[in-house]
Amino acid sequence: MYIQPEIIVVVTAFAVLGMEMFLPPRHRVLETPVCLLGLSTALAAVVYLMIQGDGQFLDGQFLFDGVAGWFKVSFLLAGLLTVLLSADLLNGRFKIVAGQERVLIHRGEFYTVVLFNLVGSMFLISATNLINLYVCLELATIPLFALVAWRRNDPLSCEAGLKYIILGATSSAVVLFGLGLLYGLSGSVDLFTMGDNLIFGPATKLAIAMVVVGVGFKLTLVPFHMWAADVYRGAPLPVAAYLSVASKAAGLAFMFQLFYRVLGNVLLDVSMALAVLAAVTMTLGNLVAVVQTNVKRFMAFSAISQAGYLIMGFLAPSGAPSMVYYMLVYVVTNMVVFGVLVFYLNETGREEIEDYRGLAGTNPWIALVMMLGLFSLAGIPPLSGFVGKFFLFSVASKAGFHWLVAVAAVNSTISLYYYLRIVRQMYIEPGFGDDPPIRASASIVTALAVSTVLMVVLGIVPFFYETIYEQTRDWIAVAEVR
Amino acid sequence: MSWLSLLILIPFATALAVVATPDSKWYVRRWVALFGTGVVLALSLVMSLSYMQAVQQRGGDASVLTISQMEFEQSIPWFKSMGIEYHVGVDGIAMAMIVLTAIIIFTGVLASWEVKDRSREFYAFLLVLVTGVFGVFISVDLFLFFLFYEVAVLPMYLLIGVWGTGRKEYSAMKLTLMLMVGSALVLVGMLALYHAAGSQTFDLNKLAMVDYSRDLQQWVFPCVFVGFGVLGALFPFHTWSPDGHASAPTAVSMLHAGVLMKLGGYGVLRVAVYLMPEGAKQWALFFLVLTTINIVYGAYAAVRQTDLKYFTAYSSVSHCGFVLFGLCSLNLMGFKGAVIQMFSHGIMTGLFFGLIGMVYGRSKTRDLTKMGGLSKRIPWLATSFYIAGLASLGLPGLSGFVAESTVFLGGFFGNRWGDATTMRICTLLATSSIVVTAVYVLRGLSRVFQGPMTKSEFNQMQDATIPEKLCTGILVATLAIVGMYPPVLIDLIEHAILPIANRF
Repeated sequence: MYIQPEIIVVVTAFAVLGMEMFLPPRHRVLETPVCLLGLSTALAAVVYLMIQGDGQFLDGQFLFDGVAGWFKVSFLLAGLLTVLLSADLLNGRFKIVAGQERVLIHRGEFYTVVLFNLVGSMFLISATNLINLYVCLELATIPLFALVAWRRNDPLSCEAGLKYIILGATSSAVVLFGLGLLYGLSGSVDLFTMGDNLIFGPATKLAIAMVVVGVGFKLTLVPFHMWAADVYRGAPLPVAAYLSVASKAAGLAFMFQLFYRVLGNVLLDVSMALAVLAAVTMTLGNLVAVVQTNVKRFMAFSAISQAGYLIMGFLAPSGAPSMVYYMLVYVVTNMVVFGVLVFYLNETGREEIEDYRGLAGTNPWIALVMMLGLFSLAGIPPLSGFVGKFFLFSVASKAGFHWLVAVAAVNSTISLYYYLRIVRQMYIEPGFGDDPPIRASASIVTALAVSTVLMVVLGIVPFFYETIYEQTRDWIAVAEVR
Repeated sequence: MSWLSLLILIPFATALAVVATPDSKWYVRRWVALFGTGVVLALSLVMSLSYMQAVQQRGGDASVLTISQMEFEQSIPWFKSMGIEYHVGVDGIAMAMIVLTAIIIFTGVLASWEVKDRSREFYAFLLVLVTGVFGVFISVDLFLFFLFYEVAVLPMYLLIGVWGTGRKEYSAMKLTLMLMVGSALVLVGMLALYHAAGSQTFDLNKLAMVDYSRDLQQWVFPCVFVGFGVLGALFPFHTWSPDGHASAPTAVSMLHAGVLMKLGGYGVLRVAVYLMPEGAKQWALFFLVLTTINIVYGAYAAVRQTDLKYFTAYSSVSHCGFVLFGLCSLNLMGFKGAVIQMFSHGIMTGLFFGLIGMVYGRSKTRDLTKMGGLSKRIPWLATSFYIAGLASLGLPGLSGFVAESTVFLGGFFGNRWGDATTMRICTLLATSSIVVTAVYVLRGLSRVFQGPMTKSEFNQMQDATIPEKLCTGILVATLAIVGMYPPVLIDLIEHAILPIANRF
């Protein structure tokens, strides 16, 4: 049947919602373990299905294959880690600082919205019908508006939500227009039939451009990245973490569906435009990140530049495994860094880069984890970020875009500069006098441990990349044959 | 498992052991570090002996080979779909570099015997750095090579930033970024080579069998040469080196100038020159001129320095120029000289920086003009300093002479692809720098150690402690052994250089 993981997540969402409605407030703490249990079971189900092999449901309207499996693993991992990271805020464990609105309310509803968003993303990569695809994209976007504006008394949070919804709605409209054009050009809503019928022409170009605008919004490609810094800054930090990984992975899933299944035969015609888009995205993201002082905005621009590296994978059909792999790496690595940010903001109320000074003295392990996470984002071996980037660069090199490899590699150096700024604060600058070590809560420690181990293991154990490579063969074949 | 893997496992395990030491017992860490590096040193010496035996047993005529012959090889598939393997193996050049690294890190630990401030992180980062360096020298797979190369560069940032002196944050950042831009260029080049070969392998020796098109070599060669050249202090990309060395703590300067800068020369030889002979033929003359500027400019800049560390750093720029100069002459003699110079300069500059650290610890100043007459109080250190200085100006009997004379011969012989007159002029200019070297070395040293004592506090100085004597003793002995009986080194490297030289 192959739809079990989605069912499990939906059931969990309703279970948590029901608990919120019927349980007395003091028992609502139980929603967290229920949510974690549901997500873990769904994750186990995805892994089980991946071992079982490919399959379909609803007459081929729903396809489960290796790529879909890996995307679902990424979504569920991002969901699990977000639930862990938000636990402290929901439990009210944080340092109260005047002028900062930080508590998260309505635990059950929060989880429900996250879970529905996850379901949207999970269906997105399995849908083979254009209309389903669009509905899933909406489901993977609209709940995020609510999550960003979750602190309704916090002006920053509301502003971020408003900004996000306006830009999000606009980009959805543009995408819909683009999809409509594609439907008109191919006369079908089935992705595979569309791909067979489509030929390259001016209208196709327009359609691709419109789709890219919409995906660019989700993936924060320059020049559609404007919302990112403000939204990351205003949203509750765990939501920003979720946004930076799950929403991006959903954007990539949408791009995979369209670019490989529908536009596979015209992909090479637009590769130059994609290369320029990638180069601009990573360069602007990196250069602007250099001057940031707030860690949230900093991570927003860092995430923008990462999206630039990511789409380098579309330059050659054989780039599919590199992108799936990098997405997985990016999810765990970004969660490592966001985990530390959440921890530090909760416990001390500090969120400026220079506030991290002396962290290596008070909490050496947390500082080490943060440093490894930042180094992985910068692409320093032997962490998985290095291997992932190496494969992406290799795709660009294979497609003959040597200049892009050079731009990307130099960009990595720029990014190293600003990641090192935090490392410098943690290790070199003297701390705040005699601060005692900060105790981390169990949920934070669990999240950090899981993501750090995954981050290291993904780069050293070849199993993951090799498996992805085997499983993406069908996708590549579809694009290469055409 | 190949013995070579131990060369990276032992330093890494030692780093972990250092992390596990209890908080209160800082002095345990230095013993742990000394033990670990001592084992590595012993291992490297034993391995170079057995390497020599293996080469003799293999026999055959090395003068017809064009592909490097590796010993102690081991290959485990890693990322199969990309053809990436954990493939290790050494030839004589790598073996010599491994011995050099082992000597420098062992003496480096001795030189940092008194580091108490955050000693846990200090030794851990130092040992991770060395793990990377050993990794580069044992790699046959280009991916692995690049991976370890970056591992070797990055800990430097923290080592200089935390334990350094002076403008340490600035120097550390400058060094890291410049080296990383260099490695970005290398990355572009190596990916281009990989895809051009089309054989899904990063094995250096398999890549070497491919005939790359002239057009490709024409742009990839300078990319890779400059990329590695940044680390080898190629003019005009050398500017990170004086700042970096001046700010770094003693052991880090030793390791950096002694070993890390050699990674640059090693990379140029192993990747640029070895894989792209056509590109080398086209570009050698251009880079030869640059390296001549290196040599001459470095020497003249050193004359003007008043800070002991800047003084030695510029002298390093000049001497590292000899390495690249030798490589650019594209003949057997030049390559041989370059490799000997790598080894010789590694030991010599390690000794220099070690001694500077020791003197600075006593005099609290590195300003040449404020020191004087120190030899009365610290004769051991002064004598060692003079030996290092004499090696650096190429006195026969010490290793510097062997290296530099070979390099000059190589440059003077020239090759078929470069303009003979230009090459000879360059060689003559480079040779003349020896005189300048003599000027700055002798003048600098006499200021510090001779004449009247400039400050009364200097009377309180104590001569070298036992760890310091051991550290300088080992390095001086190595300089003398190689200087008086060069075959000990040349026999080791000769077999490995022939296949590379035969490609020209």
